[in-house]
Amino acid sequence: MNGDTRQTTGAGTAGAGTAGAATEADAKAGTGADAKAGTGAGTRAGTEAAAPVGDDGTGHPEPPVFAVRGLWKVFGPKADRVPASAELTALSPAELRERTGCTAAVRDVGFDVRKGEVFVVMGLSGSGKSTLVRTLTRLIEPTSGSIAIDGEDVLSMDKARLRELRRHRAAMVFQHFGLLPHRTVLDNVAYGLEIQGVGRAERRARAAEVVAKVGLAGLEERRPGQLSGGQQQRVGLARALAVDPEVLLFDEPFSALDPLIRRDMQEEVIRLHREEGRTMVFITHDLNEALRLGDRIALMRDGRIVQLGTPEEIVGSPADDYVRDFVRDVPREQVMTVRTAMRPANGATEAEQGPAVAPGATVSEAIEAVARSGGPVRVVEGGRCLGVVDDAALLAVVAGVPAQEVAA
Amino acid sequence: MSATATTVPKPKPKPKPKPKTAAGEARMRHSGGGPREALRRRRGLLAGGGALAALLVLGAVLLGGGTWPAGLTADISAPLDAANDWVVDNRDSHPLFLYFLLHLSNTATDAVDSVYQVLDALGWLGVVAAAVLVAWRAAGLGRRGLRVALTALGAFAVCGLLGMWDATLLTIALMVVSVAAAALLGTLIGLAAGLSDRVDRALRPVLDTMQVMPAFAYLLPFVLVFGTGTPAALFCTVIYAAPPMARLTALGLRGADPAALEAAVSLGANGRQRLWTARLPLARRQMLLGLNQTIMMALSMVVIAALVGAGGLGEEVYSALATTDVGKAFAAGLPIVLIAVWLDRTTAAAGDAIGTSAPARSWLHGGRAWALVAAAVAAAAAVRTTGWPDAWTYDISAPVNRAQEWITTNLTFTEDWAREFTLWLLNPLRDALLWLPWWSVLLLVAAAARLVGNWLSAVTATAAMAAIGVLGVWTKSLNTLSQVLAALVVTLVLGFLAGVLCARAGRLERWVRPLLDAMQTMPQFVYLIPVVALFGATRTSAIVAAVVYALPAVVRITTQGLRDVDPAAVEASRSLGASSRQQLFGVQLPLARPALQLAVNQGVVLVLAVVVVGGLVGGGALGYDVIKGLSRGEMGLGMTAGIAIVCLGLVLDRVTQRTSRAPR
Repeated sequence: MNGDTRQTTGAGTAGAGTAGAATEADAKAGTGADAKAGTGAGTRAGTEAAAPVGDDGTGHPEPPVFAVRGLWKVFGPKADRVPASAELTALSPAELRERTGCTAAVRDVGFDVRKGEVFVVMGLSGSGKSTLVRTLTRLIEPTSGSIAIDGEDVLSMDKARLRELRRHRAAMVFQHFGLLPHRTVLDNVAYGLEIQGVGRAERRARAAEVVAKVGLAGLEERRPGQLSGGQQQRVGLARALAVDPEVLLFDEPFSALDPLIRRDMQEEVIRLHREEGRTMVFITHDLNEALRLGDRIALMRDGRIVQLGTPEEIVGSPADDYVRDFVRDVPREQVMTVRTAMRPANGATEAEQGPAVAPGATVSEAIEAVARSGGPVRVVEGGRCLGVVDDAALLAVVAGVPAQEVAA
Repeated sequence: MSATATTVPKPKPKPKPKPKTAAGEARMRHSGGGPREALRRRRGLLAGGGALAALLVLGAVLLGGGTWPAGLTADISAPLDAANDWVVDNRDSHPLFLYFLLHLSNTATDAVDSVYQVLDALGWLGVVAAAVLVAWRAAGLGRRGLRVALTALGAFAVCGLLGMWDATLLTIALMVVSVAAAALLGTLIGLAAGLSDRVDRALRPVLDTMQVMPAFAYLLPFVLVFGTGTPAALFCTVIYAAPPMARLTALGLRGADPAALEAAVSLGANGRQRLWTARLPLARRQMLLGLNQTIMMALSMVVIAALVGAGGLGEEVYSALATTDVGKAFAAGLPIVLIAVWLDRTTAAAGDAIGTSAPARSWLHGGRAWALVAAAVAAAAAVRTTGWPDAWTYDISAPVNRAQEWITTNLTFTEDWAREFTLWLLNPLRDALLWLPWWSVLLLVAAAARLVGNWLSAVTATAAMAAIGVLGVWTKSLNTLSQVLAALVVTLVLGFLAGVLCARAGRLERWVRPLLDAMQTMPQFVYLIPVVALFGATRTSAIVAAVVYALPAVVRITTQGLRDVDPAAVEASRSLGASSRQQLFGVQLPLARPALQLAVNQGVVLVLAVVVVGGLVGGGALGYDVIKGLSRGEMGLGMTAGIAIVCLGLVLDRVTQRTSRAPR
């Protein structure tokens, strides 16, 4: 996490109501449709994506790892004409297929991936998320739009530069592992280094370290066919880590695994992120996985991003009915923090007495504290009381009733 | 055409066959989607039937009956003879020969000679040691390696015991050179087809057609160019044996796990790295399967190429068959069978050993084992043994001939059967085909090909049939066709019965399977030997050989087809209380129809291959013309018959090939 959970929305076509015409106009204007009104109550308008790279006004001096603007990927005959035509871009997917025979997998998408964060792209199958992640390193060539990695334009790279990008800066973990069955675990992990031209002894030594790091020590000489699904994906993860990339791309890496093993692997990713702080782009169709892992989540539908924000914002203030439907069954008290539930303290007694919780604590933690103390709990950050939460406010979060109504 | 070609694996996820026939459409009507489609289809069928009837009447009035009219034939034997004469006259002077073909044939002869010299220099001990140790190493050490090594030992010991050592070495020398060339050629073609869609599309029909052509038809063009001798034998073997390697290499390259390839790209591999580190290793298993099939086809062809002067074991069988010396034919045929088994086991075991197990944790693995093999062979060669010692041979031809005499005098029923079969089935069938007006045969072929395939296959089949008439070999071709049809009927009846039995009784299949495997690896030539012993030199013996040769493939495909039927469908019918008869006829056979059709197609191709080789043992007709052309140098006669065989093969293939070939 970047420490700033208030930051919200902003990127791409995200925005309450998803006004189609407006976003198209914005996209063509070239500035990005990014400076949109915030979607959530109590959050301020996101501006980071619209602002010039490097200064988004929220304390991120470095350029984003990935900056994506107005990205389109259209499959089908003469795909180029679709993003260029205002008329065609306004069509629904079904109409577009009927009119042109084309399928737009990614439609006018824009977002930033900040250094060190876990950026989750989440959507159902067919929403274009897997295509999107492949366009980032041009495994799939995008139709139009722009992608920059650390401020460098990806789409204008020549073959050699692009290979360089794939070899050293971004490594991917695949849903179906994509291991080479004729190689041992160690040689699979060393494969990326071999492609870079690293000598045999050195790459095997480096691979052995990574194998140990993902918990596969002792299995170096096995073949992928002799491993379980979870172990195979650890090999896939190790292969990506071995090249020491700046950013890790995950394409639904755990979808093919059993639920229990999936949980293990998610914890593995969380642990790796905590230890190394590597930037990650994570594709998933599993909402719980997205909420567990993501610092920020981009929710996709039919190729568009319908909402982009922190897990709390997605659950707490869904941008539209689609998102609301999506997050209906999420246990809200485990996602929402007390920061959203708190109210100003009434007088000094409330502000100075009683148990304290951090603003990042979840509502369910606060509920426990309130239940134990029998009264309101203070939200304290750096010794300063930001506000208090009481049973009414916490119940409102659990029930999904907006805070204003409670206040009123 | 060798039976091994039938084991070409189809791409794994078989697309559900679209119901192409009227019956399939009729069934589809119930599934909601296609009443209109079915109606249209039925109307089309009616219209087609009406047109057919009208054409029949019209033909009867306008063209009358009888065989192919003499006015519509074109004699190509004269120009072919002239071409042959020209080649013979110019072989030593024309630049095409001096600077190209002569080099080729000299290189071929030299290569075979030098391999033979090496084998000879190794001595019998060296050769046996090499065969045994390589088999042991290739099969992956351990127990399985031991079994394969013992097979090799037995095979070579018997070859020596039977007094066929020299012929065996010559055959192996031919095999080494031709397999090396065929594998190289096939790999290159397969690489091109595997990496380029356009090449693949262009090559596929060519390879498909090459696989349905009988081995016999390959011989003549090479004799025309190179004359009889080692070069002709070698080159036609290479051409005949390369397709499976090309096919399976392309299949392996195309079938590689897309996720692994994408992973390679995502890690920044360039084209060459992708090919060498991912695509080729992933295709390795398929390529070894291709090598196995190439070896088996090469063996089958090297033996048949005795007809064009290849020498070796085939030569022994050929000369024995020519004098109906069954004992001698057995003595030469047995080594062929054993070599086939040895080669098949060794290469198949090498294919199985790939990537299945972790590297052996003993000191004996990888390069060290190969070094040991090389050292042992060198040591065995250093003993300086020469050819197989004469004292260790045993002549089986006398006892075999005695046994055969006993059979012919005491078991006369086999010849009676043969006579009855000829009298009551073969002759009426041939006469009926000949009685049919020529144009109605064309119509029948067109209608049949259209019914099972598409318009393109109908046109191809009809054109091929018409070409037979134009070549002026209508009567002979129909004679051959009648033999093929008779053999096919017998094969299918026996094959389907056996297939159903095997599919239903797992224990039976376990017993039969090794037998079928062994039968499928044997060259078609050797099947002629026992049937001549039993039935004498008649058309029937060729047919029996064809049936025996084609049966394993038909049984295998039928069994597999029935086994692969969706178990859920069978379970559903059982849960509804269907008897096992109802399950078989209501569920399993209808669902296995694509496999059954494939069995018919394979059966017909294999039967044709042996029926024409049957010209050697009294089969007559086209096969005999080819042999006559070869042995007397009558190129025109032989080539005409050869082309007619190819046309007949095309007709039979198209008439039995389900749907279009595009998505195979």
